[in-house]
Amino acid sequence: DRRSRGSKRTSGFDMAPPGAAVVTGTTPGQLPGITQPVPGVFSM
Amino acid sequence: CSRLHNKPTISPTLLLSNMYQRPDMATPGMDLNGQTMDQKKIQEHFEDFYEDMFEELSKYGEIESLNVCDNLADHMVGNVYVQFREEEEAAAALKALSGRFYAGRPIIVDFSPVTDFREATCR
Repeated sequence: DRRSRGSKRTSGFDMAPPGAAVVTGTTPGQLPGITQPVPGVFSM
Repeated sequence: CSRLHNKPTISPTLLLSNMYQRPDMATPGMDLNGQTMDQKKIQEHFEDFYEDMFEELSKYGEIESLNVCDNLADHMVGNVYVQFREEEEAAAALKALSGRFYAGRPIIVDFSPVTDFREATCR
């Protein structure tokens, strides 16, 4: 190794932005983090 | 600058736009929390980045040259230029890197017309 350092730190490659995990898995057209209203139930 | 900045359809050189972000990009010599940064730390940060680049890019072919702009001006800030020996290697790297992330930011990759970096400077 050209530098006398300990273990190699992890590469920055494939480091997804924070919040990217929230976007994946949602139904198209549905905003993430917004729960669908339940019919017949009023919220006050 | 009077150069034509066209994007070739194939080239041994790739341009990765705005890849490198200096840790002291807001204020030279200071980190984002306003703490004074050691020149050695900044250099080390740069070398880590360079190492990441070299390691990843050498998976796709033989690297002829690897240039990282660590300037602080707006013009081509953080641009990474990588020249492979063969056009096909650059094409493979372009395909492999498109749509991926580096340090939480998307990788913007394109072919670059530059093949001789000594001649490439815009004046």
